[in-house]
Amino acid sequence: MTGALIDLSFAAFSLVAIVAGVRVFRTDSMVRAAFYLLASFAAAGGIIVLLGAEFLGMVLILMMAGEMLVMAIVMVMYMMNPAGLNPMVMVHQPRTAVVAGVVAFLAIAGVGLSGEVPSRPAPNPAAATADLGRELLGNSMLVFQTAGVTLLATMVGAIAVAAPRGRYGDAAEGSEEPGLQPDEEASA
Amino acid sequence: MSPLLDVIAAAAAVAGLLAVGALALAIGDGVAGAAVAGRPIRVLPLIAAPFARAALAARTGSTTTERPDGAGRAVAPALLAGLAALAMVLLPLAPGVALADPDTGFVVYSAAVAFVMIAVFLHGWSPNSTLPLHGAYRFGAVALSFQIPFLLAMLATALPAQSLSIVRIVEAQASLWNVVREPLGLPIYLVVGLAVGFWGPLNLPDGDDLAGGTSAEDAGLARWLWQVARLSMLVAVAALGAAAFLGGYFGPILPGPVWVAVKTGLLLAAMAAAQHLLARVRIERFVGVAWVLLVPLALLNVFVSGAFLL
Repeated sequence: MTGALIDLSFAAFSLVAIVAGVRVFRTDSMVRAAFYLLASFAAAGGIIVLLGAEFLGMVLILMMAGEMLVMAIVMVMYMMNPAGLNPMVMVHQPRTAVVAGVVAFLAIAGVGLSGEVPSRPAPNPAAATADLGRELLGNSMLVFQTAGVTLLATMVGAIAVAAPRGRYGDAAEGSEEPGLQPDEEASA
Repeated sequence: MSPLLDVIAAAAAVAGLLAVGALALAIGDGVAGAAVAGRPIRVLPLIAAPFARAALAARTGSTTTERPDGAGRAVAPALLAGLAALAMVLLPLAPGVALADPDTGFVVYSAAVAFVMIAVFLHGWSPNSTLPLHGAYRFGAVALSFQIPFLLAMLATALPAQSLSIVRIVEAQASLWNVVREPLGLPIYLVVGLAVGFWGPLNLPDGDDLAGGTSAEDAGLARWLWQVARLSMLVAVAALGAAAFLGGYFGPILPGPVWVAVKTGLLLAAMAAAQHLLARVRIERFVGVAWVLLVPLALLNVFVSGAFLL
């Protein structure tokens, strides 16, 4: 892509990321908020692709689709608002949030302005992907494999907890609590 | 001006390919339906049927529901059609010829498939109505279940190519197609493909048991557009499947693009047949099969493909 096209794409992705990010808090439904957040993240993924990290940017976009859908469904389940279409306010503790937001913005902007920007050109996307693979299966392998196995164990545990067939029988048939007296249960 | 013209030409090419494919699938579906039901196959009425449905849709008014999410209803079909176009852009048509060949083509295609769940959920959620919402939640469960088998089945095709580029994946099949090299890959991919296009036995979000599911509140052009977007997605899935598993443009005598069309048509014919020969699967059964059977099989496929390369 030529320079002008990259600049134009960067402007478009930034605009989408910022506008969608603001809409997350200004909308009145959890499901809408999740979709705006998805749009914001997808635009950020586009910017990462423009930066030359093609694989990371596309994987971010790929992963966000499922994550945001799960988040929307779980939020709707917790909030007793079956379709997520009942109007509700998406912010709480607004004053604290404003202060925290301004402080975080200033801190990140300060780092961005005061830090040194590397001037070396980005490697081509295929080389960047290969470097990432070597890092993940080389020096950082222990960290990532530990995190991966931990997450896998969590998933297996969550599925075991949610499985229809539990210690007290089939969930579809209703379960019976254990008796208050231990020997009562043993004799039953 | 020339990049702009290139973009317009590419968009027109993708729209043309998808339109031809979707029309072929609609006609093939009609033929398969007539053949399975034992009705006489009359060619002209079957060819005219998709056009008649389009004309009827254009003449039918639209409907609305109480407090819908208007933006979501408008965006969902466009998003689904756009995802089909995004996948189609990656299709290698002849040696070294594809509208786009990003180094991460595999990931781009996977992202397009992942976003289908957003399009379908949005389509079912936005009318603010019971049956569409049921369809949306169903597709959430289906999509989260087919995601990993899909990624693993496609990943195995990237191994012999040693690249995530779809063009390289096809080039690596010059001597041996992936369907032979990895016999488990194509069946898993086809099952997942039916789920991605919510078609036939895996038409759970838009099934007749939900009175049309996510489309239950659609009428007229909106309903037609959603159907066209879905057919386009199926065409893209079939075309990319032909590229990843059936050797894409490789084949004797005939030129490359013809082979792409023939192989895509073969997979589409299988899908059209599945629509009429297989009963709809219960969602619990599909989710169970996807996690307990398809994920281990797809993993086995990756390990075996990797072992052959060592």
